[in-house]
Amino acid sequence: MPTLIAGEFQKLLTTRLWLWLLLGAMALTALYASLLLGFSDDPDTMTAPLHTAAGQQTLFAVAAGGANTLTAVLAAIGITGEFRHRTATATFLATPARNRVVVAKLVTYALVGVGFAFACLVVVAIIAVPWLSAMDISLSLTGNGLPGIYLGVLSDTAIFGLLGVGLGALLRNQVATVVGLLLYRFVAEPIVTNIPAISEWTIYLPGSASAALTQVSLSTQGYLEAWQGGLVLAGYGLALAAAGSLSSVLCDIT
Amino acid sequence: MKVNLDPDQGVAGRIEVDGLTKRFGDVVAVDDLSFTVEPGSITGFLGPNGAGKTTTLRMLLGLVRPDKGRASICGVEYVDLPAPATIVGAALEATGFHPARSGRDHLRVYCTVNRLPKRRADEVLDVVGLGQAKRRKVGGYSLGMRQRLALGAALLGDPAVLILDEPANGLDPDGIVWMRRFLREYAERGRTVLVSSHVLTEMQQLVDRVVILNRGRLVREATLAGLSEGTSSVLVRSPDPTGLTAALDQHASNGTRARRLGPDLLEVTGTTAAGLGHIACAAGIELHELTPRRTDLEQVFLDLTGTLETEPS
Ligand SMILES: Nc1ncnc2c1ncn2[C@@H]1O[C@H](COP(=O)(O)OP(=O)(O)OP(=O)(O)O)[C@@H](O)[C@H]1O
Ligand SMILES: [Mg+2]
Repeated sequence: MPTLIAGEFQKLLTTRLWLWLLLGAMALTALYASLLLGFSDDPDTMTAPLHTAAGQQTLFAVAAGGANTLTAVLAAIGITGEFRHRTATATFLATPARNRVVVAKLVTYALVGVGFAFACLVVVAIIAVPWLSAMDISLSLTGNGLPGIYLGVLSDTAIFGLLGVGLGALLRNQVATVVGLLLYRFVAEPIVTNIPAISEWTIYLPGSASAALTQVSLSTQGYLEAWQGGLVLAGYGLALAAAGSLSSVLCDIT
Repeated sequence: MKVNLDPDQGVAGRIEVDGLTKRFGDVVAVDDLSFTVEPGSITGFLGPNGAGKTTTLRMLLGLVRPDKGRASICGVEYVDLPAPATIVGAALEATGFHPARSGRDHLRVYCTVNRLPKRRADEVLDVVGLGQAKRRKVGGYSLGMRQRLALGAALLGDPAVLILDEPANGLDPDGIVWMRRFLREYAERGRTVLVSSHVLTEMQQLVDRVVILNRGRLVREATLAGLSEGTSSVLVRSPDPTGLTAALDQHASNGTRARRLGPDLLEVTGTTAAGLGHIACAAGIELHELTPRRTDLEQVFLDLTGTLETEPS
């Protein structure tokens, strides 16, 4: 398995896509963090004041929003690319036990998620430290429950890596997977989670579970406890991974 | 699962296809197909477009799931081979490459997953003549260069069995000559080479044996010499065709057959010109012409696969 994971990293690093998506995730994080910092005095803001622990936790949790979707997109492109560019033939010739390939990709993109999340947390820190000090707010990167938020951001993004691989393995069509992922994340789920009548149900959707894990939500609805959100999100990740793995084991590579 | 590469054990390097059947919807792509391929020789896997060659090879390699039947290499199904790259190298039609990855990086990925040293990538790139282009992105490769890269990928593990699907497609004449020589040497080292093509003439100078497929079914499995056997004939002119026919009929048990083509002209199958001359001489019959006629292999192939009549165009 370590050799397969090494092979997956080699595939990833020998093209440039990861770099563009990483830069995209960092830029998105910078945007979110700047907006949150810039509007922190706004009376209508939904977030807690930045001198409170809750406010600082929210600030660092935006790293998840910057990193997770693009990690899933990279993961989805990574696996569907095998079918789109027909490298699946070479890959499955080298490793006829296809579920081992899927597992290697799951591990790889979970680790990529951790890397993306780490980079985005660093971006938040780089922006927040001078900004808050200019506002005369003291910030301790190891205090105010922030380590728990880091852990949440890292695990959230890692699980999004699993979601991307699982969905890609299941659908195998690159365009459908990526467009579906983005539409769901940015259109479908935000709409349904803001319908109060079904909020009892929508807290279990992947995006809400993710928000629960990092305790940040831009919707008006509540969410689960962080650990519950983590379990629910991991459940989606594993279910998709299992379904995707099974489906790519059964399919004909023609 | 034990893979046998010991040449004394019978199955070493042998490919066995047994009753393979595959449907895609209404299309029966491969229909109860059985054949074997032996090591130390080059076997041509022939058939017109859509005959089921690629599908068969993909079933053999565990990429397509057969509806029925099984296929084995060295006595083991492909999916059960422990380190497949060192036993079987395959270059299939429409094998893909990531357009943004260089040829060298492509091969190095498969060096990693096959636990081969990275320098194998550079070695095979030199072998297939891509040494100059190896750092360029595959997206900029020509068709022939991609074929060479696919062949390079198949050679990475220095496998005992080489399976190539239409490898000559897109190769220039030099490339084809080079490939022929390369495959010949490969087979002479006791290895198994299976090469598919839809062009018999292309294969004529390359293969020792042929497996011919049409519409998913086996139509012929023979040596190249055996393929033309029974289809070659001798034309003979004699002032006494009736007497000659009678003399030849006495050898009918050896498969000798005569057919009257004209008043003094016979076409004789199942014997050679020398054999025919001997029979005539022994019977005291005068001959005016004795011409061996070898049916063109291309014609044999077309006859066997019936392409001309059946393929709508
Ligand atoms: N994935 C698929 N879905 C549907 N039909 C398929 C698929 N793959 C192959 N076929 C059909 O199966 C038949 C055999 O195809 P195959 O590619 O094996 O032929 P071939 O002998 O390799 O032909 P060629 O010389 O053109 O490469 C064809 O009728 C083809 O249309
Ligand atoms: Mg084909």
